[in-house]
Amino acid sequence: MSLEGFEVAVVGAGPAGSAAALTLAREGVQVLLVERGTFPGSKNVFGGRIYSYALKRLLGERWKDAPVERFVRKEGITFMTADSSFSVEYESKDPTGSFTSIRSKFDKWLAEEAEKAGASLITDSRVDDLVLERGIVKGIIAGPDKIPTDVVIACDGTTTNLARKAGLASMLEPREVSIGMKDVIELPADKMEERLGLEPEEGAAHVFVGECSGGLRGGGFLYTNKDSLALGMVVGADDISTKKVPSHTLMDRLRNHRKVRRLIRGGKTIEYDAHMIPEAGPKMLTRPYTGGMLVAGDAAGHLLNNGYTFRGVDMAIVSGIAAAQTILEARKRKDYSAQSLQTYARRLREEPALKDMYTFSKVPRYLRNNRLYNVYPELVCNAAEAIYRVDGNRKRKIYKELRTQTKGKVSTISLIRDLLAGARTF
Amino acid sequence: MSEKQEDMSLDKRLALVSFNKDPEPFIVVDTNLCQQCEKKPCLYICPAQVYTWQDQLNYNTEGCMETGACLIVCHKIGAKAISWKYPSGGKGVSFRLG
Repeated sequence: MSLEGFEVAVVGAGPAGSAAALTLAREGVQVLLVERGTFPGSKNVFGGRIYSYALKRLLGERWKDAPVERFVRKEGITFMTADSSFSVEYESKDPTGSFTSIRSKFDKWLAEEAEKAGASLITDSRVDDLVLERGIVKGIIAGPDKIPTDVVIACDGTTTNLARKAGLASMLEPREVSIGMKDVIELPADKMEERLGLEPEEGAAHVFVGECSGGLRGGGFLYTNKDSLALGMVVGADDISTKKVPSHTLMDRLRNHRKVRRLIRGGKTIEYDAHMIPEAGPKMLTRPYTGGMLVAGDAAGHLLNNGYTFRGVDMAIVSGIAAAQTILEARKRKDYSAQSLQTYARRLREEPALKDMYTFSKVPRYLRNNRLYNVYPELVCNAAEAIYRVDGNRKRKIYKELRTQTKGKVSTISLIRDLLAGARTF
Repeated sequence: MSEKQEDMSLDKRLALVSFNKDPEPFIVVDTNLCQQCEKKPCLYICPAQVYTWQDQLNYNTEGCMETGACLIVCHKIGAKAISWKYPSGGKGVSFRLG
Protein backbone atom coordinates (compact mmCIF):
# COMPACT_ATOMS: atom_id res chain seq x y z
CA MET A 1 0.00 0.00 0.00
CA SER A 2 1.33 3.44 -0.85
CA LEU A 3 1.32 5.63 2.19
CA GLU A 4 1.06 8.84 0.18
CA GLY A 5 -2.02 10.89 -0.49
CA PHE A 6 -3.92 10.45 2.77
CA GLU A 7 -5.68 13.51 4.12
CA VAL A 8 -6.18 12.11 7.60
CA ALA A 9 -4.21 9.60 9.68
CA VAL A 10 -6.12 8.01 12.55
CA VAL A 11 -3.83 6.36 15.08
CA GLY A 12 -5.37 3.40 16.87
CA ALA A 13 -8.15 1.19 15.49
CA GLY A 14 -10.16 1.02 18.71
CA PRO A 15 -13.74 2.30 18.89
CA ALA A 16 -12.75 6.00 18.77
CA GLY A 17 -10.40 5.54 15.83
CA SER A 18 -12.68 3.32 13.78
CA ALA A 19 -15.70 5.58 14.42
CA ALA A 20 -13.69 8.60 13.29
CA ALA A 21 -12.27 6.81 10.23
CA LEU A 22 -15.70 5.52 9.24
CA THR A 23 -17.35 8.94 9.57
CA LEU A 24 -14.64 10.56 7.46
CA ALA A 25 -14.43 7.82 4.81
CA ARG A 26 -18.17 7.96 4.31
CA GLU A 27 -17.75 11.59 3.22
CA GLY A 28 -15.09 10.65 0.70
CA VAL A 29 -12.07 11.67 2.80
CA GLN A 30 -8.89 9.67 2.22
CA VAL A 31 -8.26 8.11 5.64
CA LEU A 32 -5.46 5.90 6.89
CA LEU A 33 -6.26 3.94 10.05
CA VAL A 34 -3.13 2.66 11.79
CA GLU A 35 -3.15 -0.15 14.37
CA ARG A 36 -0.16 -1.52 16.31
CA GLY A 37 -1.73 -4.91 17.02
CA THR A 38 -1.89 -7.73 14.49
CA PHE A 39 -5.60 -6.96 14.20
CA PRO A 40 -7.89 -4.31 15.72
CA GLY A 41 -8.88 -5.34 19.22
CA SER A 42 -5.90 -7.57 19.85
CA LYS A 43 -4.43 -5.04 22.32
CA ASN A 44 -7.69 -3.99 23.88
CA VAL A 45 -9.37 -5.04 27.09
CA PHE A 46 -12.49 -3.78 28.85
CA GLY A 47 -14.89 -4.99 31.49
CA GLY A 48 -17.42 -6.15 29.07
CA ARG A 49 -20.28 -3.85 28.14
CA ILE A 50 -21.14 -1.44 25.33
CA TYR A 51 -24.06 1.02 25.40
CA SER A 52 -25.96 0.63 22.14
CA TYR A 53 -26.97 4.26 21.49
CA ALA A 54 -23.49 5.22 20.30
CA LEU A 55 -23.43 2.47 17.70
CA LYS A 56 -26.91 3.41 16.50
CA ARG A 57 -25.68 6.94 16.05
CA LEU A 58 -22.72 5.76 14.02
CA LEU A 59 -24.36 3.07 11.91
CA GLY A 60 -28.14 3.49 12.05
CA GLU A 61 -29.99 0.18 11.77
CA ARG A 62 -26.79 -1.64 10.85
CA TRP A 63 -25.70 -1.45 14.49
CA LYS A 64 -27.50 -4.77 14.83
CA ASP A 65 -24.70 -6.48 12.92
CA ALA A 66 -22.39 -5.87 15.89
CA PRO A 67 -20.87 -8.98 17.50
CA VAL A 68 -23.09 -9.08 20.59
CA GLU A 69 -22.49 -11.64 23.31
CA ARG A 70 -25.59 -10.90 25.42
CA PHE A 71 -27.93 -7.96 25.91
CA VAL A 72 -27.88 -6.89 29.54
CA ARG A 73 -31.16 -7.52 31.34
CA LYS A 74 -29.91 -7.46 34.92
CA GLU A 75 -27.87 -4.86 36.75
CA GLY A 76 -26.59 -5.55 40.21
CA ILE A 77 -24.29 -4.47 42.99
CA THR A 78 -22.96 -6.42 45.95
CA PHE A 79 -21.41 -4.95 49.09
CA MET A 80 -19.24 -7.57 50.71
CA THR A 81 -17.32 -8.38 53.85
CA ALA A 82 -15.12 -11.46 54.18
CA ASP A 83 -18.06 -13.68 55.08
CA SER A 84 -21.25 -11.83 54.20
CA SER A 85 -22.73 -9.87 51.33
CA PHE A 86 -25.58 -7.51 50.59
CA SER A 87 -26.84 -7.40 47.00
CA VAL A 88 -29.26 -5.24 45.07
CA GLU A 89 -30.45 -6.27 41.65
CA TYR A 90 -32.44 -4.48 39.00
CA GLU A 91 -34.15 -6.23 36.12
CA SER A 92 -34.75 -3.90 33.18
CA LYS A 93 -37.84 -4.03 31.00
CA ASP A 94 -35.68 -3.41 27.93
CA PRO A 95 -32.31 -5.11 27.63
CA THR A 96 -31.36 -3.66 24.22
CA GLY A 97 -29.75 -0.56 25.76
CA SER A 98 -26.44 -2.31 26.29
CA PHE A 99 -24.70 -5.52 25.44
CA THR A 100 -21.63 -7.48 26.42
CA SER A 101 -18.99 -8.09 23.81
CA ILE A 102 -15.41 -9.23 23.25
CA ARG A 103 -12.99 -6.66 21.93
CA SER A 104 -11.12 -8.92 19.53
CA LYS A 105 -14.47 -9.38 17.78
CA PHE A 106 -16.05 -5.97 18.28
CA ASP A 107 -13.07 -3.75 17.42
CA LYS A 108 -12.25 -5.96 14.44
CA TRP A 109 -15.80 -5.68 13.17
CA LEU A 110 -15.95 -1.91 13.62
CA ALA A 111 -12.63 -1.43 11.80
CA GLU A 112 -13.98 -3.58 8.97
CA GLU A 113 -17.01 -1.28 8.79
CA ALA A 114 -14.60 1.65 8.44
CA GLU A 115 -12.78 -0.20 5.70
CA LYS A 116 -16.04 -0.91 3.89
CA ALA A 117 -16.75 2.82 3.97
CA GLY A 118 -13.40 3.39 2.24
CA ALA A 119 -10.83 3.81 5.01
CA SER A 120 -7.44 2.09 4.59
CA LEU A 121 -6.35 0.00 7.55
CA ILE A 122 -2.76 -0.98 8.27
CA THR A 123 -2.00 -3.25 11.21
CA ASP A 124 1.26 -4.34 12.91
CA SER A 125 2.33 -0.73 12.83
CA ARG A 126 3.43 1.28 15.85
CA VAL A 127 3.32 5.04 15.44
CA ASP A 128 6.42 6.38 17.15
CA ASP A 129 6.21 10.07 16.50
CA LEU A 130 4.52 13.00 14.84
CA VAL A 131 5.79 14.96 11.88
CA LEU A 132 5.95 18.45 13.36
CA GLU A 133 6.57 21.63 11.41
CA ARG A 134 6.80 24.77 13.53
CA GLY A 135 4.65 23.12 16.17
CA ILE A 136 1.97 22.07 13.69
CA VAL A 137 1.29 18.35 13.21
CA LYS A 138 1.83 17.38 9.59
CA GLY A 139 1.75 13.62 9.72
CA ILE A 140 2.96 10.54 11.56
CA ILE A 141 6.11 8.46 11.76
CA ALA A 142 5.58 4.71 11.94
CA GLY A 143 8.80 2.70 12.01
CA PRO A 144 10.74 3.66 8.88
CA ASP A 145 7.73 5.35 7.27
CA LYS A 146 7.13 9.07 7.40
CA ILE A 147 3.49 9.53 6.43
CA PRO A 148 2.48 13.10 5.58
CA THR A 149 -1.17 14.02 6.16
CA ASP A 150 -3.24 17.21 6.55
CA VAL A 151 -4.41 16.23 10.00
CA VAL A 152 -4.02 13.44 12.58
CA ILE A 153 -6.53 11.99 15.05
CA ALA A 154 -4.78 10.42 18.03
CA CYS A 155 -6.83 7.54 19.42
CA ASP A 156 -3.84 5.84 20.94
CA GLY A 157 -5.28 4.97 24.33
CA THR A 158 -4.53 5.87 27.93
CA THR A 159 -0.77 6.10 27.52
CA THR A 160 -1.31 8.51 24.59
CA ASN A 161 2.21 8.96 23.45
CA LEU A 162 1.03 11.29 20.68
CA ALA A 163 -0.77 13.81 22.91
CA ARG A 164 2.43 13.98 24.94
CA LYS A 165 4.58 14.45 21.83
CA ALA A 166 2.28 17.29 20.84
CA GLY A 167 2.63 18.90 24.26
CA LEU A 168 -1.03 18.41 25.23
CA ALA A 169 -0.37 16.12 28.19
CA SER A 170 2.23 15.44 30.78
CA MET A 171 2.56 12.09 32.49
CA LEU A 172 -0.57 11.11 34.42
CA GLU A 173 -0.49 10.88 38.20
CA PRO A 174 -0.96 7.43 39.81
CA ARG A 175 -4.23 8.61 41.39
CA GLU A 176 -5.52 9.45 37.90
CA VAL A 177 -5.30 5.88 36.63
CA SER A 178 -6.59 2.48 37.65
CA ILE A 179 -5.36 -0.94 36.78
CA GLY A 180 -7.97 -3.36 35.45
CA MET A 181 -7.60 -7.14 35.34
CA LYS A 182 -9.98 -9.88 34.37
CA ASP A 183 -10.30 -13.61 34.11
CA VAL A 184 -12.47 -14.95 31.33
CA ILE A 185 -14.08 -18.09 32.71
CA GLU A 186 -15.73 -20.58 30.42
CA LEU A 187 -19.11 -21.76 31.69
CA PRO A 188 -21.93 -23.52 29.79
CA ALA A 189 -24.72 -21.09 28.86
CA ASP A 190 -27.49 -22.99 30.63
CA LYS A 191 -25.50 -23.19 33.83
CA MET A 192 -24.73 -19.49 33.73
CA GLU A 193 -28.36 -18.58 33.08
CA GLU A 194 -29.53 -20.78 35.90
CA ARG A 195 -27.07 -19.34 38.40
CA LEU A 196 -27.78 -15.74 37.52
CA GLY A 197 -31.50 -16.19 36.97
CA LEU A 198 -31.44 -15.21 33.31
CA GLU A 199 -33.58 -16.13 30.33
CA PRO A 200 -31.66 -17.83 27.51
CA GLU A 201 -29.33 -15.41 25.70
CA GLU A 202 -29.93 -12.61 28.16
CA GLY A 203 -27.11 -11.14 30.18
CA ALA A 204 -26.16 -9.58 33.49
CA ALA A 205 -23.73 -6.95 34.73
CA HIS A 206 -22.68 -6.88 38.36
CA VAL A 207 -20.41 -4.76 40.53
CA PHE A 208 -18.70 -5.82 43.78
CA VAL A 209 -17.54 -3.39 46.47
CA GLY A 210 -15.74 -4.05 49.75
CA GLU A 211 -13.75 -7.12 50.73
CA CYS A 212 -12.66 -7.94 47.17
CA SER A 213 -10.44 -4.85 46.95
CA GLY A 214 -9.10 -5.30 50.48
CA GLY A 215 -10.07 -1.72 51.35
CA LEU A 216 -8.29 -0.25 48.34
CA ARG A 217 -10.05 2.19 46.04
CA GLY A 218 -11.74 -0.01 43.48
CA GLY A 219 -14.05 -2.93 43.05
CA GLY A 220 -14.96 -6.01 41.10
CA PHE A 221 -17.11 -6.60 38.06
CA LEU A 222 -18.86 -9.48 36.38
CA TYR A 223 -20.28 -9.59 32.85
CA THR A 224 -21.85 -12.49 31.05
CA ASN A 225 -20.64 -13.46 27.60
CA LYS A 226 -22.36 -16.18 25.55
CA ASP A 227 -20.63 -19.03 27.29
CA SER A 228 -18.11 -17.36 29.53
CA LEU A 229 -18.00 -14.95 32.44
CA ALA A 230 -15.78 -11.87 32.43
CA LEU A 231 -14.79 -11.46 36.08
CA GLY A 232 -12.40 -8.72 37.04
CA MET A 233 -11.08 -6.06 39.36
CA VAL A 234 -10.31 -2.39 38.85
CA VAL A 235 -8.09 -0.72 41.47
CA GLY A 236 -6.45 2.68 41.88
CA ALA A 237 -2.78 2.69 40.89
CA ASP A 238 -1.84 4.92 43.81
CA ASP A 239 -3.48 2.65 46.38
CA ILE A 240 -1.90 -0.49 44.93
CA SER A 241 1.53 1.08 44.96
CA THR A 242 1.53 2.75 48.34
CA LYS A 243 -0.26 -0.05 50.20
CA LYS A 244 1.94 -2.64 48.52
CA VAL A 245 -0.73 -5.09 47.47
CA PRO A 246 0.31 -7.05 44.35
CA SER A 247 -2.51 -6.22 41.93
CA HIS A 248 -3.13 -9.75 40.66
CA THR A 249 -3.75 -11.08 44.19
CA LEU A 250 -7.01 -9.10 44.21
CA MET A 251 -8.33 -11.41 41.50
CA ASP A 252 -8.06 -14.30 43.92
CA ARG A 253 -9.68 -12.29 46.68
CA LEU A 254 -12.67 -11.75 44.43
CA ARG A 255 -12.83 -15.32 43.16
CA ASN A 256 -12.63 -16.79 46.64
CA HIS A 257 -15.50 -14.81 48.08
CA ARG A 258 -18.45 -17.14 48.71
CA LYS A 259 -20.77 -15.02 46.58
CA VAL A 260 -18.46 -15.23 43.57
CA ARG A 261 -17.19 -18.75 44.20
CA ARG A 262 -20.66 -20.15 43.67
CA LEU A 263 -21.05 -18.34 40.35
CA ILE A 264 -17.81 -19.56 38.82
CA ARG A 265 -17.76 -23.08 40.28
CA GLY A 266 -16.91 -25.69 37.66
CA GLY A 267 -15.84 -22.97 35.23
CA LYS A 268 -12.54 -23.02 33.39
CA THR A 269 -10.41 -19.90 33.12
CA ILE A 270 -9.43 -19.45 29.48
CA GLU A 271 -7.76 -16.03 29.44
CA TYR A 272 -6.29 -13.40 31.73
CA ASP A 273 -6.33 -9.79 30.53
CA ALA A 274 -5.19 -6.45 31.90
CA HIS A 275 -5.38 -2.80 30.95
CA MET A 276 -4.85 0.68 32.36
CA ILE A 277 -7.86 2.96 32.76
CA PRO A 278 -7.70 6.76 32.87
CA GLU A 279 -9.85 8.15 35.69
CA ALA A 280 -9.09 11.86 35.41
CA GLY A 281 -11.68 12.62 32.72
CA PRO A 282 -11.17 15.16 29.93
CA LYS A 283 -8.85 17.25 32.08
CA MET A 284 -6.08 14.74 31.52
CA LEU A 285 -5.22 16.89 28.50
CA THR A 286 -4.67 20.65 28.59
CA ARG A 287 -6.91 20.62 25.50
CA PRO A 288 -7.95 17.85 23.09
CA TYR A 289 -6.64 19.56 19.95
CA THR A 290 -3.62 21.37 18.57
CA GLY A 291 -2.63 22.58 15.12
CA GLY A 292 -3.07 19.56 12.82
CA MET A 293 -4.25 17.10 15.49
CA LEU A 294 -7.27 16.03 17.53
CA VAL A 295 -7.34 13.51 20.38
CA ALA A 296 -10.29 11.16 21.07
CA GLY A 297 -11.28 8.18 23.22
CA ASP A 298 -9.25 7.00 26.23
CA ALA A 299 -6.36 9.14 25.00
CA ALA A 300 -8.46 12.24 25.75
CA GLY A 301 -10.00 10.85 28.94
CA HIS A 302 -13.32 10.36 27.19
CA LEU A 303 -14.78 7.79 29.50
CA LEU A 304 -16.84 7.79 32.64
CA ASN A 305 -16.86 5.75 35.79
CA ASN A 306 -19.47 7.25 38.08
CA GLY A 307 -19.39 4.36 40.51
CA TYR A 308 -22.37 2.47 39.12
CA THR A 309 -21.99 2.69 35.33
CA PHE A 310 -18.70 2.23 33.52
CA ARG A 311 -18.61 3.81 30.11
CA GLY A 312 -15.72 3.77 27.71
CA VAL A 313 -16.63 2.37 24.32
CA ASP A 314 -19.74 4.52 23.82
CA MET A 315 -17.85 7.66 24.84
CA ALA A 316 -15.00 6.71 22.52
CA ILE A 317 -17.36 6.23 19.56
CA VAL A 318 -19.14 9.53 20.17
CA SER A 319 -15.88 11.44 20.58
CA GLY A 320 -14.51 9.78 17.43
CA ILE A 321 -17.57 10.99 15.53
CA ALA A 322 -17.14 14.49 16.99
CA ALA A 323 -13.49 14.55 15.93
CA ALA A 324 -14.44 13.48 12.39
CA GLN A 325 -17.17 16.11 12.16
CA THR A 326 -14.74 18.78 13.30
CA ILE A 327 -12.37 17.74 10.55
CA LEU A 328 -15.11 17.70 7.91
CA GLU A 329 -15.88 21.33 8.78
CA ALA A 330 -12.24 22.36 8.86
CA ARG A 331 -11.73 20.63 5.52
CA LYS A 332 -14.28 22.93 3.88
CA ARG A 333 -12.23 25.85 5.16
CA LYS A 334 -8.99 24.04 4.19
CA ASP A 335 -7.73 25.15 7.59
CA TYR A 336 -6.39 22.70 10.16
CA SER A 337 -4.81 25.25 12.46
CA ALA A 338 -5.47 25.04 16.19
CA GLN A 339 -7.86 27.95 15.83
CA SER A 340 -9.87 26.16 13.17
CA LEU A 341 -9.96 22.90 15.15
CA GLN A 342 -10.98 24.47 18.44
CA THR A 343 -14.64 23.89 17.56
CA TYR A 344 -13.90 20.32 18.66
CA ALA A 345 -13.79 21.43 22.31
CA ARG A 346 -17.22 23.02 21.89
CA ARG A 347 -18.63 19.93 20.21
CA LEU A 348 -17.44 17.78 23.08
CA ARG A 349 -19.10 20.05 25.61
CA GLU A 350 -22.36 20.26 23.70
CA GLU A 351 -22.67 16.62 22.71
CA PRO A 352 -25.28 15.25 25.16
CA ALA A 353 -23.60 11.87 25.67
CA LEU A 354 -20.23 13.45 26.40
CA LYS A 355 -21.78 16.13 28.58
CA ASP A 356 -22.17 13.38 31.18
CA MET A 357 -18.41 13.60 31.70
CA TYR A 358 -18.80 17.19 32.83
CA THR A 359 -22.01 16.54 34.79
CA PHE A 360 -20.17 13.86 36.77
CA SER A 361 -16.83 15.64 36.78
CA LYS A 362 -16.64 15.64 40.60
CA VAL A 363 -17.14 11.89 40.82
CA PRO A 364 -13.47 10.84 40.56
CA ARG A 365 -12.66 12.97 43.59
CA TYR A 366 -15.62 11.60 45.52
CA LEU A 367 -14.60 8.05 44.69
CA ARG A 368 -11.17 8.67 46.16
CA ASN A 369 -12.76 8.60 49.62
CA ASN A 370 -11.54 5.26 50.96
CA ARG A 371 -14.45 4.95 53.40
CA LEU A 372 -16.45 3.87 50.37
CA TYR A 373 -14.32 0.74 50.16
CA ASN A 374 -13.22 -0.04 53.69
CA VAL A 375 -16.04 1.23 55.92
CA TYR A 376 -19.39 1.46 54.20
CA PRO A 377 -19.63 -2.01 52.61
CA GLU A 378 -19.07 -3.56 56.02
CA LEU A 379 -21.56 -1.17 57.57
CA VAL A 380 -24.23 -2.19 55.07
CA CYS A 381 -23.60 -5.89 55.65
CA ASN A 382 -23.51 -5.59 59.44
CA ALA A 383 -26.72 -3.59 59.47
CA ALA A 384 -28.43 -6.19 57.30
CA GLU A 385 -27.19 -8.93 59.60
CA ALA A 386 -28.60 -7.13 62.63
CA ILE A 387 -31.90 -6.39 60.93
CA TYR A 388 -32.52 -9.89 59.65
CA ARG A 389 -31.17 -11.90 62.57
CA VAL A 390 -33.65 -13.11 65.16
CA ASP A 391 -31.88 -14.86 68.00
CA GLY A 392 -34.11 -14.27 70.98
CA ASN A 393 -32.14 -11.26 72.15
CA ARG A 394 -33.94 -7.95 72.27
CA LYS A 395 -34.28 -6.38 68.78
CA ARG A 396 -33.79 -2.70 68.22
CA LYS A 397 -35.62 -0.55 65.70
CA ILE A 398 -33.83 -0.29 62.36
CA TYR A 399 -32.82 3.33 62.84
CA LYS A 400 -31.24 2.55 66.23
CA GLU A 401 -29.51 -0.46 64.77
CA LEU A 402 -27.97 1.64 62.02
CA ARG A 403 -26.77 4.19 64.57
CA THR A 404 -25.17 1.43 66.63
CA GLN A 405 -23.41 -0.01 63.61
CA THR A 406 -21.72 3.29 62.72
CA LYS A 407 -20.25 3.71 66.21
CA GLY A 408 -16.49 3.58 66.23
CA LYS A 409 -16.36 3.09 62.44
CA VAL A 410 -17.20 6.50 61.14
CA SER A 411 -18.00 9.77 62.90
CA THR A 412 -21.45 11.24 62.45
CA ILE A 413 -19.92 14.29 60.83
CA SER A 414 -18.00 12.23 58.27
CA LEU A 415 -21.08 10.18 57.54
CA ILE A 416 -23.27 13.22 56.96
CA ARG A 417 -20.56 14.90 54.91
CA ASP A 418 -20.17 11.81 52.70
CA LEU A 419 -23.93 11.53 52.23
CA LEU A 420 -24.35 15.19 51.33
CA ALA A 421 -21.34 15.18 49.02
CA GLY A 422 -22.72 12.02 47.43
CA ALA A 423 -26.07 13.66 46.83
CA ARG A 424 -24.36 16.61 45.17
CA THR A 425 -21.92 14.51 43.15
CA PHE A 426 -24.17 11.93 41.58
CA MET B 1 -22.99 -30.82 43.55
CA SER B 2 -19.32 -31.67 43.57
CA GLU B 3 -17.94 -29.31 40.98
CA LYS B 4 -14.30 -28.56 41.51
CA GLN B 5 -13.13 -25.14 42.49
CA GLU B 6 -10.43 -24.08 40.07
CA ASP B 7 -7.18 -23.15 41.71
CA MET B 8 -5.57 -20.21 39.92
CA SER B 9 -2.12 -18.68 40.19
CA LEU B 10 -0.44 -15.90 38.26
CA ASP B 11 1.73 -18.40 36.39
CA LYS B 12 -1.35 -20.31 35.30
CA ARG B 13 -2.98 -17.07 34.22
CA LEU B 14 -0.01 -15.91 32.19
CA ALA B 15 0.18 -19.26 30.46
CA LEU B 16 -3.26 -18.45 29.01
CA VAL B 17 -2.10 -15.28 27.27
CA SER B 18 -0.46 -15.22 23.83
CA PHE B 19 2.78 -13.32 23.48
CA ASN B 20 4.88 -12.69 20.41
CA LYS B 21 8.28 -11.74 21.75
CA ASP B 22 9.73 -8.46 20.56
CA PRO B 23 13.47 -8.85 19.98
CA GLU B 24 13.84 -5.12 20.65
CA PRO B 25 13.99 -4.25 24.37
CA PHE B 26 10.86 -2.12 24.83
CA ILE B 27 11.30 -1.92 28.58
CA VAL B 28 14.67 -0.82 29.90
CA VAL B 29 15.31 -0.27 33.60
CA ASP B 30 18.26 1.50 35.12
CA THR B 31 18.38 -1.02 37.97
CA ASN B 32 21.07 0.94 39.83
CA LEU B 33 18.45 3.57 40.58
CA CYS B 34 16.19 0.84 42.01
CA GLN B 35 18.68 0.13 44.80
CA GLN B 36 17.82 3.51 46.28
CA CYS B 37 14.09 3.20 45.56
CA GLU B 38 12.15 3.17 48.81
CA LYS B 39 8.69 2.23 47.66
CA LYS B 40 9.33 -0.02 44.65
CA PRO B 41 5.80 0.46 43.28
CA CYS B 42 6.51 -1.57 40.12
CA LEU B 43 6.56 -4.76 42.21
CA TYR B 44 2.89 -4.25 43.09
CA ILE B 45 1.26 -2.45 40.19
CA CYS B 46 2.10 -4.87 37.41
CA PRO B 47 -0.72 -7.39 36.90
CA ALA B 48 1.75 -9.74 35.20
CA GLN B 49 4.51 -9.29 37.79
CA VAL B 50 7.06 -8.36 35.17
CA TYR B 51 9.15 -6.86 38.00
CA THR B 52 10.52 -8.92 40.88
CA TRP B 53 13.10 -8.26 43.58
CA GLN B 54 15.95 -10.47 44.65
CA ASP B 55 18.81 -8.34 45.95
CA GLN B 56 18.20 -6.25 42.86
CA LEU B 57 15.41 -5.47 40.46
CA ASN B 58 14.79 -8.18 37.87
CA TYR B 59 12.38 -7.82 34.99
CA ASN B 60 11.10 -10.13 32.32
CA THR B 61 9.42 -8.31 29.45
CA GLU B 62 7.97 -11.49 27.98
CA GLY B 63 4.88 -11.46 30.20
CA CYS B 64 4.24 -7.73 29.73
CA MET B 65 0.55 -7.00 29.14
CA GLU B 66 1.33 -3.44 28.04
CA THR B 67 -0.79 -1.54 30.54
CA GLY B 68 1.90 1.13 30.86
CA ALA B 69 1.08 1.60 34.54
CA CYS B 70 4.63 0.74 35.68
CA LEU B 71 6.01 3.78 33.90
CA ILE B 72 3.62 6.11 35.73
CA VAL B 73 4.15 4.72 39.23
CA CYS B 74 7.91 4.43 38.75
CA HIS B 75 8.19 8.06 37.72
CA LYS B 76 5.73 9.49 40.24
CA ILE B 77 6.29 7.24 43.25
CA GLY B 78 9.45 5.30 42.48
CA ALA B 79 12.99 6.08 41.34
CA LYS B 80 12.29 7.12 37.72
CA ALA B 81 14.23 4.08 36.55
CA ILE B 82 11.89 2.62 33.95
CA SER B 83 11.86 3.55 30.28
CA TRP B 84 8.91 1.99 28.59
CA LYS B 85 7.29 2.05 25.19
CA TYR B 86 4.97 -0.29 23.39
CA PRO B 87 6.58 -3.28 21.66
CA SER B 88 7.13 -2.95 17.90
CA GLY B 89 4.10 -3.28 15.65
CA GLY B 90 2.59 -6.76 15.75
CA LYS B 91 4.76 -7.84 18.69
CA GLY B 92 3.93 -8.30 22.35
CA VAL B 93 0.70 -9.43 23.91
CA SER B 94 -2.36 -10.43 21.91
CA PHE B 95 -5.73 -10.70 23.65
CA ARG B 96 -8.35 -13.03 22.18
CA LEU B 97 -11.06 -12.37 24.75
CA GLY B 98 -10.38 -8.84 26.02
